[in-house]
Amino acid sequence: MATIKGYNMPDELYYHEEHSWARVEDGKVTVGMDDMFQKEAGDVVFVDLPDEEDEVEQGEVCGKIQSRKWIGKLCAPVSGEIVEINEDLEDDTTLINEDPYGKGWILVIEPSDLENELGNLMHGDSLLPFIDQEIKRTEEEKAKA
Amino acid sequence: MTSWRLFEDIVNPVSTALGLSIDDTLPLSLSQHGSPPILHLYVFKPSAIVGKYQDINAALRLDRCRHREIEFNRRSTGGGTVIMGPKAVALGLGITLDHPGLKGGINGIFESLSAVLLAALGDLGIRAEFRPKNDLEVRGKKIAGLSASLETEKAVLFHASLLVDFDIPLMLDIIHQPPLKLYDKGYSCFSQRITTIKEQLGHDVDMGTIIAAVENAFSQRFDISFQADEPDTWEKKSIQEFTTARYTNPDWIFSHKHPRSRMGVSEVKTPGGLLEIYLALAGNTIEHIMITGDFFSTTKDINLLESALKWTSAKRKKIEEHLSEVWRDEIIYGVSFDTLTEAILQAKENLIAT
Repeated sequence: MATIKGYNMPDELYYHEEHSWARVEDGKVTVGMDDMFQKEAGDVVFVDLPDEEDEVEQGEVCGKIQSRKWIGKLCAPVSGEIVEINEDLEDDTTLINEDPYGKGWILVIEPSDLENELGNLMHGDSLLPFIDQEIKRTEEEKAKA
Repeated sequence: MTSWRLFEDIVNPVSTALGLSIDDTLPLSLSQHGSPPILHLYVFKPSAIVGKYQDINAALRLDRCRHREIEFNRRSTGGGTVIMGPKAVALGLGITLDHPGLKGGINGIFESLSAVLLAALGDLGIRAEFRPKNDLEVRGKKIAGLSASLETEKAVLFHASLLVDFDIPLMLDIIHQPPLKLYDKGYSCFSQRITTIKEQLGHDVDMGTIIAAVENAFSQRFDISFQADEPDTWEKKSIQEFTTARYTNPDWIFSHKHPRSRMGVSEVKTPGGLLEIYLALAGNTIEHIMITGDFFSTTKDINLLESALKWTSAKRKKIEEHLSEVWRDEIIYGVSFDTLTEAILQAKENLIAT
């Protein structure tokens, strides 16, 4: 379990730059939103998810997430077919806040090109510069403002 | 100096379908059509517009809307119901997330764009404040609401409504509201929570003056100039597509039915007086809350508490977390943190028919 600049970013996961994460297990990919997203967004109040059996491309917007009055996007970290949706989110969307890597998982993808696509995601040491850059961007813009 | 495009028409109120379709095209035009940022300033025909994920049947009395010829529709950005018309400035902005001068992150974007509207109001002689997370207020009363949506790569649609004048009796007639015991009380509750440019200045204001203040504030903040423009051929096609797919399409307008949309009420006697809570819930989300009664507090503090809870989870842990962000001793005289929390939870359980 890695904490980077105050954000919990587990080592074993792969991360998309739009803050979705991917966990590879038994050839399938579980997807959720990372800790940096949920801390910044605040309470998730609605999620709009695709249907099972939908096909998605890596980076494609496959869902919407509302926190307060902001509607953000869930980008598919890998291509493939959606084989499962977390139905518990229908009752409690704040699972994404409370347990982003556990009960707050969002969907599962049966990947179509996993080996090639994992290389496009951030993992391990490559995550630190990304988090740094995200924090720096926010601070720089705040300074400008 | 960088130039932004300006779509402006405050003379001819537009249908919700047209206004919202133009707005949805703005970020798309930036990300797919190479446009610079576009500011759209306009007015709607009399209308009620719900947020992307609201249940329109739960939010509005559609029979009353039809009877009064008030259009209703669903926008693509978040938040709650807004009542629009010729006396409310509608603002749509398409801007890239990395635009110079725009703070980073969700909260940063709201803060940056709020600062522009605060400057515009200041220019008109109104000292307003940003009420986290999404509203502008004058001494605790809401004068503008903000919302946003990120549908395309790197470009965001930002919506704002700026109240120039407001018809509270109309609102009380067309929205589903808590069954307050007396009409007068309903009027009073809303008049203590909403204000307008006209009310603040004590006289009518020319819409052109307001629009000029908004444009000037954007120019100053982002160091840009505006080029008056209108949608080009590519954008007109997109506008038509959004009109067909969304804003004249019942599947879009009536989407997002929440089987668990409901209202709750509680009344609790406290050392500070009677405390009444009215709650509108969608699933486990607080869409709206009204804290009222005969206790002693200020409009600003009550609105601060209500605002901290709107669009958050109705779970005990979350209610406590959000209340504690703004709570201070005697914010409501004679009402403790625990009493208020319990009253809200009681309202959640004590459901009422609407």
